[in-house]
Amino acid sequence: MNGNMVIVEFLLFPGLLFTAIAGLLTAWVDRKVTAMVQMRVGPPLLQPFHDIRKLFVKETCVPEGGAIGLFLLAPLLGLAAVALASMILWRALLDVEATFVGDLIVLIYLFVMPALGVMLGSFASRNPLASIGGSREVKLMIAYELPMVLAILVPVIQAGSIRLGDLLTAQPPILSVSGVLALLVSIACMQAKLTIVPFDMPEAETELSGGALIEYSGPPLAMFKLTRAMMLFTLPILLLVLFFGGLLTGPVWQRWVIGFLVWFVLVAITIVLRNTTPRVRIDQAVRFFWGPVSVVALVAVVLAWAGW
Amino acid sequence: MLRSLLTNPMALPVVFPLLAGLVCLLLPNAASRLRVWLAALAAIVVLAFVWPLFQQAGQTWNPLPWLTLRTDLLSVFILLGVAFFGLVVAVYSVGYMKDRPHQRAYFTYLLWTLGISCGVVLANDLLILLVCWGFLALILYLMAGLSGPGAAEAARKSLMIIGGSDALMLLGILIYWHLAGTTRMDGAALALDGPLAYMAFLTLLAGAFAKAGAVPFHSWVPSFGEKVDAPVSAFLPASLDKLLGIYLLTRLVLDLFIPTPGMYGMLMLLGAVTVIAAVLMALVQHDLKRLLSFHAVSQVGYMILGIGTGTAIGLAGGLFHMLNNTVYKSALFLGAGMVEKQTGTTDLDRLGGLAKLMPVTFIVCTIAALSISGIPPLNGFASKWMIYQGIISSGDNGSFAWVLWLAVAMLGSALTLASFVKVLHATFLCKPSVEIRQMEISEKKGSMLLPMIVLALLCVVFGVYAFQVPLGFLIFPVVAVTVPGVWWSGLATVLILLAVIVGIGLYWLTMRGGKLRRMRTYIGGEQMQDVYLSNDEPGPLRHVEVTGVDFYDTIEQVPGLHRYYALMKDRVFDIYEFLKRSADYFVQMLRALHTGILPSYLRWFVAGLLLVVWVVTMEGR
Repeated sequence: MNGNMVIVEFLLFPGLLFTAIAGLLTAWVDRKVTAMVQMRVGPPLLQPFHDIRKLFVKETCVPEGGAIGLFLLAPLLGLAAVALASMILWRALLDVEATFVGDLIVLIYLFVMPALGVMLGSFASRNPLASIGGSREVKLMIAYELPMVLAILVPVIQAGSIRLGDLLTAQPPILSVSGVLALLVSIACMQAKLTIVPFDMPEAETELSGGALIEYSGPPLAMFKLTRAMMLFTLPILLLVLFFGGLLTGPVWQRWVIGFLVWFVLVAITIVLRNTTPRVRIDQAVRFFWGPVSVVALVAVVLAWAGW
Repeated sequence: MLRSLLTNPMALPVVFPLLAGLVCLLLPNAASRLRVWLAALAAIVVLAFVWPLFQQAGQTWNPLPWLTLRTDLLSVFILLGVAFFGLVVAVYSVGYMKDRPHQRAYFTYLLWTLGISCGVVLANDLLILLVCWGFLALILYLMAGLSGPGAAEAARKSLMIIGGSDALMLLGILIYWHLAGTTRMDGAALALDGPLAYMAFLTLLAGAFAKAGAVPFHSWVPSFGEKVDAPVSAFLPASLDKLLGIYLLTRLVLDLFIPTPGMYGMLMLLGAVTVIAAVLMALVQHDLKRLLSFHAVSQVGYMILGIGTGTAIGLAGGLFHMLNNTVYKSALFLGAGMVEKQTGTTDLDRLGGLAKLMPVTFIVCTIAALSISGIPPLNGFASKWMIYQGIISSGDNGSFAWVLWLAVAMLGSALTLASFVKVLHATFLCKPSVEIRQMEISEKKGSMLLPMIVLALLCVVFGVYAFQVPLGFLIFPVVAVTVPGVWWSGLATVLILLAVIVGIGLYWLTMRGGKLRRMRTYIGGEQMQDVYLSNDEPGPLRHVEVTGVDFYDTIEQVPGLHRYYALMKDRVFDIYEFLKRSADYFVQMLRALHTGILPSYLRWFVAGLLLVVWVVTMEGR
C-alpha cells in the first residue's frame, strides 16, 4: 500500500471528510423522515451542517474538577475509529481485493470505540448524571455485543471466511432463512449501537437531562454529534456488506443503485423504529438482548451451520 | 564440578540469584538501603546472564547423570520474560518496600523465586522441573505471608491448591516415566493412546492450570491478589506464574504429548469457561486488587483458548497473549500498588479523583486497561486478533464449537472493558471520597513510576509494532506462522492519530487559542455539593456522589446470572472450599468415634491389636 495515498484516502475519501459529509446528509434523512412521521415539513438539506458549524463557533465550557484532557480527547477517539472503519468498509466495496484476513474482527472492535469515547468522556465530566449515563452506555454495550457477534458470524459461516472481500463475492446471506434472522438481530443491535430510541437510555433527556453528554457543549459536543451521524451512515453499510454483499454485482451503476436502495431501507427502518417505540429501561434492554435476541441469533447460527 | 556449576552460562541465571538472595538475607538490618539496591542490581545481572542464552538457543548442558539443562526457542523466550519481569518488580519494590517491614525476607524471596523460576524453564527433566515447581510454591506461600496476618488464609489456600497440584504432577510424571521410559523432556512426544497416557496428560495439565490460575484451579488467585501486597501479585500471579504455567502447557501439547482433537476441544472449553466465569465475577468486585485478580484468571482463558485451537496461529496468539497479559497486568497491579501506597486502601468505595493527584499512574492504568480490553491498536488487541483467527481456523475440521468459543471470547472482551471503565471511574475519575480529600497525595517515587511507564510503553509498542517486535523476535521463532495479509496495526495507529490531530486542530481553531471556561457541573439545576445516589446512609465514609462500584448491579439481577452469582457467593466452584468441605465431612465421621469414654477406646485398641496379630500371622504363613 502506498503510504501517502492511504493518508489521502483516510482524510478525504472514503475516510474522514467523506464519511462526515455523508453522515450529516444521513442525519438530514433522519430528521426529514422523522418530520414526515410526525406530519411536519422538516429541515432543509443543509441544516445538520449549520448545526455542527454553530456548535463549533460556540465557547468551549468544561466541567469544574473534571479530567479535562480526557474530557476533550474522548470525542475524538470515536471519530477517528469510525473514520477508519468507514475507510476499511469502502475500500472493500470499491475493490474486493483491497481487504485483509480478519478485517471483520478489526471492524467489530473499531465500532466499539465510539461507545468507549462516550463512556470515558462522561466519566471524565465528574457529574453524577453523566456517570450514570456512561454506566448505561457500558451495560448496553455488553448487552448487544453477544447477539451482534453471533449475527455477524452467520455470513462468516456461510462464506467460510472472515475477510470482507470474500463476503462480498459469496452468495448473499439474505437469501437464506438464517441470513434473514441474523439481519433482524443485527438491526436491533444497530439500534442500540446508535443509542437511539428505544435504546437511548445513556442520554435519556427526561431522566438524566442528557446523561452521558450533559457537560458537553461547543466543539467537543460537535465531535460527538458528528461521530453519531457518521455511525448512522456507516453501520447500515456494514450490514449491507455482511448480508447483501453478493447482490452487488453487474455494471457499476447497477451496483450503486442496489447498494443505495438497500442502505436506504436499512436507515429508514432504524428511523421508523426510533419514532414509533418508547424508551425501555436499561435492565429491560439487557434482558432483551441476552434473552430473546441472543436466542434468535443462536438459532440463526445453527441454521447457517445446517446450510439453511 | 562446583566450579563449572558456578560458571556455566546455563547455570548462572539459577545460581546467581540464589546466592544474591542469600547475601540479602545475611546483610544486617542497618544496611537495608544497600540490600534494596543490591536486589535490583542482581535482577539486572540476571537479565544480562539470560541475554546470551536468548541469542544462542538450543544448548544442552549435562553435568550430572540426573541433571540436564537445555534451552530451546520456547524456553529462552520464557526465560527472557522471567528475567525481565523480575527486574521490573525488583526496581518497583525499591520504592514500594521503603518503610515497610519484612524487607529482608521480601528481597530474599524475590531473588530466590527469580532463580528457581529460571530453573523451571531450563530444566530438561520433568523431575527437576517438579522440584523447582515445589520450591516456588513454598516461596510463594512464604512471600504471601509477609503481607501481614490478613494474608495468612490466602497464602494457605494458594499453597494447598498449588501444592496439591504438585502431587498430581508427581503422579503424572511417574506415569509418563512408565510409558516413555524417561523423564527427559526432549524425547519423542507420547501419543494419547490409552487411559494411562490420558491420566499422565491430565495430571500434568492440572499442574499447569493451577500455576496459571485457570478454572477449575483458579480460586487461589483472587484471594491471593486481594490480600497480598501488590508487587507480589504483579510478580507471581500476574507475570511469573502465567509465564511458567503457560510454558508447561505449551510443552505438554507440543513436546511431551500428541493431544487428540478431543483434548484440544476440552482445552478450548475450559478456556472459554475461564474467560467468562472470571470476568463476570470481576464485574461486581468492590476491591481493586481483587478485581484485577479475577482478570488475571480471565485472561488465562484466552491463552488456553489460543493454545487449545491446535493451530499455529492460535498457539502463537496464545503465547503472545501470555506476554501481553504479563505486561499490562503487572502494570495494573503496580498501579494498584501505587494507589495503595499513597492512599492506604484499594477499596473502590473509598477512592476517587486520583486522575489529578496521580496523573502518571492514571495514564499508565488507562493504557493498560484499554490494552487488556483489546482496544486497537494496543497490544491486547493484536494477540486477541490472532487468537480469534486461531479459533476460526480450528473450525476447518468441521467442528461447530468454534462459533461458541468465538462469541464467548468476544463477549468476555466486552465485559473486560466494562469492568475496567468501572475501575477508571471509581479510582481516578469520580469525585474523591472524603478521606482522599483530606490526604496529601503525590506520586513522586521514581523507582515506582519508572517500571510502570516502561510497561505502559510496552503496551503501545507491542501493539503498534506487533509483527516487527514481539512476534518477530520472540514468538515466530517458536511457532512459525505465515499470516496471509496482516492487520496493519502500524498504519492504523498513524491514521487514528492523524484523525485525533485533525480533531485537536479543529478544537484549536474554534476555541480561540485553546481558551476554556470552567463551569460548575450541572446536577439537575441543584446547587448541591454532595448528592447521595446509592442506598447507603450519608455519613463521613459515604460522602461520595456516584462511585461506580455498583454500576453493574443491574447485570447481577439478570435472571440467569443471578443464580450464578449466588452460587459464587457460596463458593460452590472453589475447589479449595470443595475439598475443605469434603475433608470436613470425613473428619466429622471420625470425630463421631471420639466419644471420650475410656472403655470404648480400650475396645477399639484391643480390636486393633487383634487385627495386627492376625495380619502378622497370616504373613508368616
